[in-house]
Amino acid sequence: MIETLGARTIRGINNAGQFARFAWQSVLTSVRSIGHFRTYPLVLSQMNIIGVRSVPVIMVTGAFVGMTLAVQAYDQLAGMRLEEHLGVLINISVVKELGPVLAAVMLAGRVGGALTAELGTMNVTEQIDAIRSMGTDPVRHLVAPRVLACLLLTPVLIIYADLLGILGGYFVSVWQLGINSGAYWMFSASGVELYDVLVGVTKGFFFGCAIALISCYKGFTCKEGAQGVGQACTEAFVASFISILALDFALAVISKAIYNSFWPFKSLVS
Amino acid sequence: MKNADQNKQTAEGGDNGVLRIKNLTKRFGAHLVLESISLGIEKGKTTVVIGPSGCGKTVLIKHLIVLLRPSSGEVYFKGRRIDNLREQELNEVRMHYGFLFQGGALFDSLNVFENIIFPIRQHFRINDWKVVEDLVKSKLSMVGLDGFQNYYPANLSGGQRKRVALARAIALNPEVILYDEPTTGLDPIRADIINELVLKLRRELGITTVVVTHDMKSAYKIADRIIMLHRGRLVADGDAEHIRNHPHPVVQQFINGQVSDEDLAALRMSGTVSQTQFMPRDFAK
Ligand SMILES: Nc1ncnc2c1ncn2[C@@H]1O[C@H](COP(=O)(O)OP(=O)(O)OP(=O)(O)O)[C@@H](O)[C@H]1O
Ligand SMILES: [Mg+2]
Repeated sequence: MIETLGARTIRGINNAGQFARFAWQSVLTSVRSIGHFRTYPLVLSQMNIIGVRSVPVIMVTGAFVGMTLAVQAYDQLAGMRLEEHLGVLINISVVKELGPVLAAVMLAGRVGGALTAELGTMNVTEQIDAIRSMGTDPVRHLVAPRVLACLLLTPVLIIYADLLGILGGYFVSVWQLGINSGAYWMFSASGVELYDVLVGVTKGFFFGCAIALISCYKGFTCKEGAQGVGQACTEAFVASFISILALDFALAVISKAIYNSFWPFKSLVS
Repeated sequence: MKNADQNKQTAEGGDNGVLRIKNLTKRFGAHLVLESISLGIEKGKTTVVIGPSGCGKTVLIKHLIVLLRPSSGEVYFKGRRIDNLREQELNEVRMHYGFLFQGGALFDSLNVFENIIFPIRQHFRINDWKVVEDLVKSKLSMVGLDGFQNYYPANLSGGQRKRVALARAIALNPEVILYDEPTTGLDPIRADIINELVLKLRRELGITTVVVTHDMKSAYKIADRIIMLHRGRLVADGDAEHIRNHPHPVVQQFINGQVSDEDLAALRMSGTVSQTQFMPRDFAK
């Protein structure tokens, strides 16, 4: 019993170490390959697969989040006669938390799963070894373009989710719940700062990076066979999901600290 | 200083081989696959590795290009130790190799043309596409597949895939080519064309060749030297004549395709087929 626990712990630490090395290597390679003309077509094709095709899904996610928030929050605020402040609540939640996190989770499922399955299949059919045998670094050829594409596109997709979330919230609040449109926007504008939007979008860089690194790592270390690939996909999604939440928490703490320490200078910026 | 030492060592090995393995041992967990193998592969010669399925031929040949790292022992390429190099440094070395994977390992997201130009594209900037197209055409006609440029691997037969993989392995005109079972899965005539191709490449370009195969006919035809692996060790090493007359019973059984008495006994012990196996007809009623 203790023995298995110990063995598991050791395996866990081993995996974490391996992942850290892989992640470090990938980030270094990605940064370096920005200067290589050869990476650009690869990054572009990944951006098409990862980004462009995710837009509809992300937009639907954002719209539903905004709409649901409006329906849920209305009763509470109406009870306090504050229903005109609905806009602040919806838009702050969407822009800072729900938009980024749900968009990232959606991407982890849609893109992360596909990345892991693709690289995992390449791994078990020796295609990754084939790349190595021809004197090419598989991290440079396969991982770097995917990391760069995720890094660049997740923030953009988050902006889409935010926009649709805001619109969804607006339509439900104004058209269905009958809140005055002018008041809705006025309170929203006074409550949501540029800083909030920036925090949300910045989260996208971290989430995108985490999704790409975890999915590629799982694909590269995938076990033989169809079952191995399936298992790697599941593990990649779970790991991405957990790290999105953990990163979200960490970034919330950090962004708050930054906000507080720069509070006195705020009037200079805006 | 250290380098000079290594060179001296290989020179002392008494063999100016392009590739050298010293005391190579490979384990996967507790499973010992190769045990203390030493081998030098001469420049411009064709060395054929034979041995029963699962004896570690693929593992051995992958060590020659360091796709697998030894558990202990050393690998040298042109006198330089390569088994302890970092991946980036190895990429330079691997440019001089062509490797044919047992399963082909074609990139299934790329078509035949793109597969073959992959190694070229990785190392050279292509300015003149006409030259590249001609090159692909000539490599494909060598394996009898000109005209299949736009096919995807999924739409090729197993033997065709193998031949495309072969064309890809020779695309860079490497100094050393390692073939893992080039003729398995091909019809006898195709297999013989591949044999001729291996001979031609060696004759015209002086390429150093290592071929893993089960096919004794092909082995006798192309080999300057045949080595046999059995249970992780070298049991025979010499030219075709030497192997034909080798006294070791394992070698004789292998080259003549005879089953050993032990294996036959095991098969008899397993009982008759109808006792051990349900056939669909058992459920017919
Ligand atoms: N990555 C690996 N992990 C664990 N064991 C392995 C691995 N690769 C090979 N082996 C083991 O090494 C042994 C030799 O495998 P290898 O593929 O070299 O056989 P082979 O001689 O090429 O056989 P065949 O002629 O059927 O291709 C096998 O018993 C296999 O179980
Ligand atoms: Mg093999």
